[in-house]
Amino acid sequence: MRGSRKPAIVAVAVAAALAIAACSSSSSSSSSSTSASSSSSSSSAKVTLTWWNNGNTQPLLGVWQSVAAEFHASHPNVTINVDPIQSDLFTTKMPIALKSDNPPDVFQQWGGGQEATQFTSGKLANLSSLTSSWITELGQAAAGWQVNGAQYGIPYDQHVVGFWYRKDLFAKAGITSPPTTIAQLESDDAKLKAAGITPISLGGGSRWPDAFYWEYFAVRECSQSVLQSSIKAINMTAPCFTQATKDLTAFMATNPFQGGFNATQAQTGAGSSAGLLANGKAAMELQGDWETSVVPALTSDKNIVSQLGWFPFPQVPGGAGASTAVLSGGDGFSCTTGASEPACAEFLQYIDSTPVQEELVQKGGVGLPANTAAETVLTDPALQAAAAAHRNAAYDAEYFDIAFPTNPGQALDTALANFFAGKGSNETIINSVSSSSGH
Amino acid sequence: MARTQSAPAAGRDTASSRPAAAGARPPRRRRGLRKRVELTALLAPAIVLFIGFVIVPMIFAAWYSLYNWSGFGPLNDFIGVQNYTGVLTGPVFHQALLHNVIIAVLSLVIQLPISIGLALLLNRRVRGRTFLRLAVFAPFVLSEATAAVMWYELLQPGGPLDALLKAVGLGGLIHYWLASTSLVLYSVFVVATWKYIGFGIVLLLAGLQGIPPELREAAAIDGATPWQVTRAVTLPLLGPTIRIWIFLSVIGSLQLFDLVWIMTLGGPANASSTMLTYQYTNGVQRTEFGYGATVSVVLFVISLVFALGYQRYALRRDTSGALTRAVT
Amino acid sequence: MTAASARLGRRAPRRDVIRERRTWLSLPASYLVILLVLAITLAPMLYMIVGGFSTTAQLNANPNALPHPWVWSNYAAIATSSIFWQAVANSVVVAVVATGLAVSLGSMAAFALSRYTFRGREAFYLLFVVGLLFPLNTAALPLFLLLQQIGLNDNLLGVALPEAAFSLPVTIVIMRPFMRAIPGELEDAAIVDGATRIRFFLRILLPLSRPALITVGILAFVTSWNSYLLPLIVFTSQNHYTLPLAVASFQSTYTQDTARVYAFTSVSMIPALAIFIFAQRKLVGGLVGAIRG
Repeated sequence: MRGSRKPAIVAVAVAAALAIAACSSSSSSSSSSTSASSSSSSSSAKVTLTWWNNGNTQPLLGVWQSVAAEFHASHPNVTINVDPIQSDLFTTKMPIALKSDNPPDVFQQWGGGQEATQFTSGKLANLSSLTSSWITELGQAAAGWQVNGAQYGIPYDQHVVGFWYRKDLFAKAGITSPPTTIAQLESDDAKLKAAGITPISLGGGSRWPDAFYWEYFAVRECSQSVLQSSIKAINMTAPCFTQATKDLTAFMATNPFQGGFNATQAQTGAGSSAGLLANGKAAMELQGDWETSVVPALTSDKNIVSQLGWFPFPQVPGGAGASTAVLSGGDGFSCTTGASEPACAEFLQYIDSTPVQEELVQKGGVGLPANTAAETVLTDPALQAAAAAHRNAAYDAEYFDIAFPTNPGQALDTALANFFAGKGSNETIINSVSSSSGH
Repeated sequence: MARTQSAPAAGRDTASSRPAAAGARPPRRRRGLRKRVELTALLAPAIVLFIGFVIVPMIFAAWYSLYNWSGFGPLNDFIGVQNYTGVLTGPVFHQALLHNVIIAVLSLVIQLPISIGLALLLNRRVRGRTFLRLAVFAPFVLSEATAAVMWYELLQPGGPLDALLKAVGLGGLIHYWLASTSLVLYSVFVVATWKYIGFGIVLLLAGLQGIPPELREAAAIDGATPWQVTRAVTLPLLGPTIRIWIFLSVIGSLQLFDLVWIMTLGGPANASSTMLTYQYTNGVQRTEFGYGATVSVVLFVISLVFALGYQRYALRRDTSGALTRAVT
Repeated sequence: MTAASARLGRRAPRRDVIRERRTWLSLPASYLVILLVLAITLAPMLYMIVGGFSTTAQLNANPNALPHPWVWSNYAAIATSSIFWQAVANSVVVAVVATGLAVSLGSMAAFALSRYTFRGREAFYLLFVVGLLFPLNTAALPLFLLLQQIGLNDNLLGVALPEAAFSLPVTIVIMRPFMRAIPGELEDAAIVDGATRIRFFLRILLPLSRPALITVGILAFVTSWNSYLLPLIVFTSQNHYTLPLAVASFQSTYTQDTARVYAFTSVSMIPALAIFIFAQRKLVGGLVGAIRG
């Protein structure tokens, strides 16, 4: 019963395509059509792109729709079907979609080792030649989206992780300026507690917010070369990582987080860690720059974004890492192989063009644009501070669960969340990324 | 339930035990052929549908378990039983399995007596009995996802449940229902009880209605206390129903997923993990589809062993006719 | 006559009065327990429903208070939302097809497995029982690949057919003993009158099994209606979403709009509850028939 399935799939695909056309009701599945000459200009043939993005909430939902419409207006032969999907569902849907015969033409991508894992499906389009003319505009940002030196994904925004804080609550606790060292942070926490304010909110239930803390300690403790080679080798046995765990343990011992943080979600509802910050129930949160797009909907305070300030992760004394290094990442898109590649690449170029990047920043709330030329339209001082920190950083460290391939990345997140919940040790964290672990 | 040995026997094997009737009967050969045609027509569609959409995927899933496979690309890393040793010796899996067992045992120890008690209560001629049964059964009709979302909101720190406890002066009982690693599994159990107890009650009610009142009357009139009546008459006659409920409850406990995943993601720190949340975390999230398939096969084997064992030792005397009654 | 009834002198009182007098929980206490049970059962659902009448800002500020004022906009928005009605329509189509297939194919198979003798009969039965034990989650990826190969991806049938298949075991397990219990004399009489066994099945057996048929129908319908993972995997376009998918998608899109989420979740409960209310009488009757001894 079992032969190799690939020929079977190919053989049945034709019949299946006919059957699909006959049986199923109208669907937005892509079937990019005729153009045999895949010239870089898509002006000759009609193409339909199915686009899976994670902008399923406002304002990004509306912005992506208008971006698709604008692109269609200037490229009438390209129709884009926008399919917003909740971010977490991509984990379930992408493996399945990439196994299917008509995966989405454009889909959300987070780069790094995750992209490398998806690359093994063979369905990711190599965009190096299609983007060579303009990819350099993105500078260093594009490097994290390559696999084996070729471009398989294109970022549309960049992220940097830092502390968001409420200026009003800091003032209430008598904190005049944000802390620059861990010791200062801990003493500020004490001041906040004395004023009856929860110092830091943490979305432990979502796992990845926990990881930020440990990863930042690692970034502060490890030198750049050790960090980069460890990530590449998927090996965290270097002593600086153990030191990071020690730092984290000491920090957690000061109890800076809200009660029950192990079950708090990161972004869902007013009880989430973002919601606590938005409603003044906590003074700080270590989060990415997307925070400004998440908090407005979680509170009735219309001016919440202007209430927030930003400061970088504090310095750790004696650490070998640069004090300006930042934990970073980004969002982007990949194209799937097929006749839609040229249109897809053109669409992604459009998204990274300065006007669209400015639109994304101003209306879409994406945080920091991939195309730094658009940073000029940032008006919020906190975001400007974050952008500056990113620009001036000695180097970027991609968050580990993206930098690693998916398997060890997720294992690390889980081990860290367990550690925060009081189950686990330095060994479980360090060893979580080895292949036979965590089971 | 024990009185019906004779009735079903009459219903079985009619083809061979039928007396030769007067009138035209086709010769044996044609009868055999006709029987086979009928059987095929009756059985084939269900078999085809079932094998196609249930058995075949199961077999494929079992096949994946022999590979190290990320879900992307081709199946080309055959590792034999390595996934199985990983699953079966892994402490995290053992913890998940233990949680499933705890939930199954708690269902038997807590849900069953409550269901029986409530069924007995609802069997009485109280006003609005129909509405009560409806209300009690309603949570069962909801999807697990809806129930989980509902309870997630209710159990938030400072949420409605905490407010209620404070309002009635029980504020000291407030805990972090979902964040505490020692409590979360039991919180999940309580929600599962809320959802499924209605089904048990309705099942038991049906069983209770099969017990003729004369038996209870006779015992009562003979001087038995109500408790003795229940213990000596009602419960034994409810036996077959209870045993079916136990079977379905254990299987359901082993397969618990949606409810837990949406409320707690199996956490914090695996404190509320079940075998299927373990499968999702280690199989899907970590793109180890082969490993995930292994967990499913193990879960299947565990369920099968239980089902076969239970069938043999507990249900045997029930199913031989005790479940049914001739329709007159 | 027993001593007790003789002592009573006159005619023995009504049975249910005896029962009332001699149970271990007095009537008022029973009512109390029942009220408690009702409160626990219904309160969470009521909370959601009432919450839908509030605004998110209010819920954020004070989640435990009654809405003040009561707003209709959340529920109104859903009633006019085309996504909602489309999802309901999809759910109905899928559930009806799945239920119809499960009940018809299942009762046919149950008939064969209960009233025919043939070699391997118990093996076939065991095959179906085994299907009860395998969780749908696992079959998901292979099922998807299979559906793709036969061209049923992103198609309502691609969900309805597997759901029917997964409902077959429960259907057969419930119907088989029911059918078995129908006395052979009925069948013999029908044969003597010249009917074929198939005719007997259609004209006599099925009508007699109506309570059980309704039972399995409801179980299959509710299972299909609430199914989430399978539609999630099979459907890619939003206009095919069934109701649980629409609810989840709605929840994540409007995650910050808690009141709206409550309203949507409450409304999505209505079809399931309505089906149940409509058929509950038959359901209890069906289970009674299947269990009674």
